[in-house]
Amino acid sequence: MTTTASPIKFLSQIAAEAAARRKELLGGKTRHIVQVAHCSLAVGADKVVAAVRQAVGENEVIIVAGCDGTCFQAPKTVTIAPDGRREVKGHGVESDFFALQKRIAMDGCGEIDATDVDDYLAHGGYAGLAKALSMSPEAVIEEVKASGLRGRGGAYFPAAMKWEGARKVRNSPKYLVVNAEEGEPGIFKDRHLMEGVPHRIIEGMAIAAYATGINEAYVYINAEANLSAHRMEKAIARAKAAGLLCEKILGSDFTLNVTIMRGAGGYVCGEETTLLNTMEGYRREPRLRPPFPTTAGLWAKPTVINNCETLANVPFIMAKGAKAYAAIGAWPSDSKTPPNQRASGTKIVSLSGSVHRPGVVELPMGTTLRQIIEAVGNGPMAGHALTGVAVGGPSSGVFPTSMLDTQIAPGLLHESGVMLGAGGVIALDERTPALDVVRRLAAYNAAESCGKCTPCREGTPRMVDALDRILSGKGAQSDIEELRYLADVVGAASLCGLGQAAGSPITSALRFFGDEIAMRVASGAR
Amino acid sequence: MRRMEVALITDRKELRAVLREKFPRNHGQLLPALHFLQHEFGHLPDWAMEVVGWHLGIPASEVYGAATSYTELRIKKPGEHVVRVCTGLGCWMNGGKDLLSGLAHDLQAKPGETTSDGRITLEETLCGFLCGLAPAVEVDGKWQGRATAAAVHASVNGAAKP
Repeated sequence: MTTTASPIKFLSQIAAEAAARRKELLGGKTRHIVQVAHCSLAVGADKVVAAVRQAVGENEVIIVAGCDGTCFQAPKTVTIAPDGRREVKGHGVESDFFALQKRIAMDGCGEIDATDVDDYLAHGGYAGLAKALSMSPEAVIEEVKASGLRGRGGAYFPAAMKWEGARKVRNSPKYLVVNAEEGEPGIFKDRHLMEGVPHRIIEGMAIAAYATGINEAYVYINAEANLSAHRMEKAIARAKAAGLLCEKILGSDFTLNVTIMRGAGGYVCGEETTLLNTMEGYRREPRLRPPFPTTAGLWAKPTVINNCETLANVPFIMAKGAKAYAAIGAWPSDSKTPPNQRASGTKIVSLSGSVHRPGVVELPMGTTLRQIIEAVGNGPMAGHALTGVAVGGPSSGVFPTSMLDTQIAPGLLHESGVMLGAGGVIALDERTPALDVVRRLAAYNAAESCGKCTPCREGTPRMVDALDRILSGKGAQSDIEELRYLADVVGAASLCGLGQAAGSPITSALRFFGDEIAMRVASGAR
Repeated sequence: MRRMEVALITDRKELRAVLREKFPRNHGQLLPALHFLQHEFGHLPDWAMEVVGWHLGIPASEVYGAATSYTELRIKKPGEHVVRVCTGLGCWMNGGKDLLSGLAHDLQAKPGETTSDGRITLEETLCGFLCGLAPAVEVDGKWQGRATAAAVHASVNGAAKP
């Protein structure tokens, strides 16, 4: 017997039971929430848990949550009294860190018991999945299309278009792969999501799989993200036990099996075809496209690959509606722009470098870099002046301070090649001049090139050599020409995104710090 | 990278039996099998990679080729302790640079080298995803945020005690 018409009813029943269990557990008690994440463990969060556990009284409970993104405060504890009074204990001062933020994907991070399904349900969890299962898969795709959601991994491809493509392919089985391989310096958002709200990723996965007609999913997690993998595993087991995963999800006919796969390190592993190669047991090298993974992906079968953050946005879209999502951060806001071209929703930004309050923040699209660095991060370290900002990781570039009013938006932020990428923002001060940063980014790209295609393998080290000559005062005008030429050729002729964007830091440097480069060349020529 | 443990598996026959039990014979099991070797031996010994190739039906050259392409897998046996200093941008600018050169000086070993007594391997890692707690150092698989050279030395010395 099937009960396909009642996922919402099924959910309300298990949510009511979960709420009752939560009430019994927490009612009238003081809650000690300890934020334990990869980062906070590095500054003793495990010791804090042990200490709180030992001190906890009869009318008190301890909740191990993920992190709310306040890296600067780690290790952090929030104590909530039965009357609602909150007391925060941590390394720094919270102040207005959250003022500009809008939390969709990260909602509940650092508050809810990370892996506990009851707590997630009490927080409104799985409502998006229940809604999706009560609709046709095509209607789910339409809803996501109307929201304007674009992939949050850096390429910003419209999510619904990818799903639609995979749904139409007549070949089975089909696979869903969650790309949680976060391999680039300065970006640490996916692991925050996996550690803080693993159930939201599971919910997003289930919705995506239902919409595309997939019954087999893989979560590909970075080699180093042990806590993320552990929490995802635990959350998957608990979701299964609650009837929210595996067979007959929420009483429907829909089945989804989930397997966790661990990476083994390397920036290029996050590139989707490389990721597939890795999963199949080959070298970490990209594949030629086409065919695209939606046609021939894992084991040559149609495969949808979505970033972790992308999927974490989906439950909100389904539960609250596409309009509610598209209304957030709609930039540019003119009504003539079709929704799928607007920068709708939020972006999780990993903020670090020379700021007082580094952390993981979720902001509406359209927020400026100045707001991120000054209002959220509270400006450069004491005694230092801001000299620039590195945006989007090693495939992007560096902005000078005059460009701080640039708004964050999907894809390219400036014609010089600076992209938002996966959302890293690193504030720079005079201790690390922008040119040195560009040199480090170039060296990173050279070191991480997998070597499969010649332009990237040979071109990236040559860019580093030319930058080295210029920085050491031994450069010539020909080095500037060579940099420009290499950035163009490597960008145009490389096989995958890593190579195609390897020239971006150089192009942005030539554009924004051209005078400085010319001066170095001229002073060396004297 | 975990602290090196004494490998329980010592010969090919024994490893074959373990692999048969743990890993179905398909190409996709290569990475999980290599992770298993690294966990077991602290690195990927040549002979063990050959056995993995035999079990999965993958030529040894291909196993070696795949293994060497990943940054987290190590072919060379490390020292008793592994110290990895993060040199991602955030760490680099907030003290990681000095920390790395200081440790290299103290240990008399360059990044990538092991001290002459075989005790400590010093490595540079491109990102430990602890940018918010820079500088970050990993000692025997455990990360330290807001790290100092003194804290790194203390944990290496602490770990050395029985």
